[in-house]
Amino acid sequence: MTEEPYRWLEAIENRREYVREQIKGGSPVFAASLPDGILLLGVGTGNSKVFELFDRHALAGLGHPADMEKIRQAAIDAAHLEAFTRAPEDVSLRRLVSFGLSPQLKTHFEQIYSAPYLVELLLAEVAAEPGHDLLFRLHFDGAFRYETKGIVLAAGMPDLEKAAQEWLSRNAAEKTERRDLVDLLLQAWWCLIEYKSFTENPPSEEERRAGWRAAANGKVVEIGWLARTSLRLARFETLTLEQIGL
Amino acid sequence: MSDPAPIAGDFLSLLAARQVPPLRGDVSLAAPVQTQATTVFAFHFADGILMAGDRRATAGNLIVTDRVDKVIEIDATSLLAIAGVPATAFEMARVLQTSFEYYRRSQLQPLSLPAKVRALARLLRENLPLTMQGVGVVMPLFAGLNPATTPARAKIYFYDPLGAQFHAVGYAASGSGSGTIRSILSFQERHGGPKPSEMQLPHAVQFALRLLMVASEFDSATGGVNPETRTFATIKVLRAGGVETIEAEQQAEFLRT
Repeated sequence: MTEEPYRWLEAIENRREYVREQIKGGSPVFAASLPDGILLLGVGTGNSKVFELFDRHALAGLGHPADMEKIRQAAIDAAHLEAFTRAPEDVSLRRLVSFGLSPQLKTHFEQIYSAPYLVELLLAEVAAEPGHDLLFRLHFDGAFRYETKGIVLAAGMPDLEKAAQEWLSRNAAEKTERRDLVDLLLQAWWCLIEYKSFTENPPSEEERRAGWRAAANGKVVEIGWLARTSLRLARFETLTLEQIGL
Repeated sequence: MSDPAPIAGDFLSLLAARQVPPLRGDVSLAAPVQTQATTVFAFHFADGILMAGDRRATAGNLIVTDRVDKVIEIDATSLLAIAGVPATAFEMARVLQTSFEYYRRSQLQPLSLPAKVRALARLLRENLPLTMQGVGVVMPLFAGLNPATTPARAKIYFYDPLGAQFHAVGYAASGSGSGTIRSILSFQERHGGPKPSEMQLPHAVQFALRLLMVASEFDSATGGVNPETRTFATIKVLRAGGVETIEAEQQAEFLRT
C-alpha cells in the first residue's frame, strides 16, 4: 500500500499529526544569547529539560523522556568522539546538527514502520563574541533553523511558538541581565502552557508574573548557563532561581 | 558472541565500538630513543594538595625541551602528574579527561574517586605490552577530591608501571629525581617545622620550588627552578573548591617572600 506515492504522503502526514498531538502539552524550553553567555531555561522535574552536551554546548528540549535521552546520548557520543579524535575546539554545533542529528531525525521520521521520535529541541553553542553564538531550533522531522543572537524557543504547538517568538523578540531586546530575562521567559512559558494569547487581550505583566510563580510551584525551574569566558574548558553550569535573584 | 554496544557512560567502550582504541600496544624493535619526563610530586598542605613537576623532557643525554607541563588538570576535581614517556602519558591524560567528562555528562553525575583511580590503573594495565618491552613506561601520580566525605577531602595516589594503585598518606613522588624529593619530604614530615601538611599556600609553593632545585642538583634529567631565567615549575593545587594553577608570576613572588 505505501508503495503508492499518495499513501506514503498520507502516512507521513499522519505521523506528523501524531507527533504534534503527543507533544502539544509539553513544557516549552528557551535559549537566549546574552552579552556574557547563553541562558537555557525549562520547567521540569530536575535534569529533565536542560542538559550539558560538551564544553561550549548545551541542549534543551521537550517530548518523550526516552526519545530525549536517545538524542542527548547521540549528541554527547558524537561530540566526545570528535573531541578525542580531533580536538575539543573542533566540536561544532553546525556540524553536529547538520551532519549528525538532523539526518538521523529525518530518516527516522520517514521510516513509517517504526515509531517516530517525540521531541522538539533547542541546541546552543557559545562563541567568544556576542553575535556569533549558535542557537539551533531542531524539529522532530529533522528540519532546523538557527540564529546567532536573540532568543529561540521550542513549544509543542507551532502557532503558539511563533506568537511567543515574536512577543519575546519585541520584549526581550532590552533585557541583558539574567534575572530580568528569566522573569520574562517564565512569563512567556506560563502564557504558553495556559494557552494565553500574545496578541489579543494578553494578560498583564502582574498576571503573567503571578501566573508563572503559581505554575512553577512544585516544579523545578531548570536554568543552564554557558559562560562566554571562563578559566575552565567546560563552560556549562546549572543555576537556580535563587542564584539569579528571583 | 561479543556485544558491540558500548557500556553506558564508558568512553573506552565507546571508542572500542567505533574502532578507535587509544594506546595501541604494538612496538617495533627499532623503536626510536624515547623522550622521557622526570620529576613530579604531590603533598598535603594546610588547604589541600599541592602537585608539582619540573618542566624538562630528555631523550638519552639530550635535553629535548624545558617547557613541558607534567601536571595536568583532568577535570574540576582531579589532577594527574606524569613521569615516564610523555607520548604515552599525555595520551593517558587525554583519555582520562575525555572519559571523566563523558561519564559526567552522559550519566548526569560525576564519576566517584575510586572509579577515577581505577580508570588510570586500567590504562596502565592496557599499556603493559609497551611497559614490558621497556618503552612507554609511565609511573603517574593522581590526586582527586572525594565528594563522598564532608567536607570533600583530597587524596593522593601513586602507581607502579603494571597498574597497582597505592594511597599516599602524606606525599608521593615519581620520576628520576623522586628519591631526593621523597627523602626531603620524609625528613620534613618527621623532623621539620612546619610539616608540609601544616604549611600555608605561599610556604608550600616555596617549599615545592626548593625541592625541585635540590632534585635538579642530583639528577640531570630534572629541570631546575631559576628565577633569574624565569624558569619555574608547573604547580597546581587541589582544594575543596577545585583546582587552581599557580602561575610563574605567583611562584616568583612566593619564592621571594
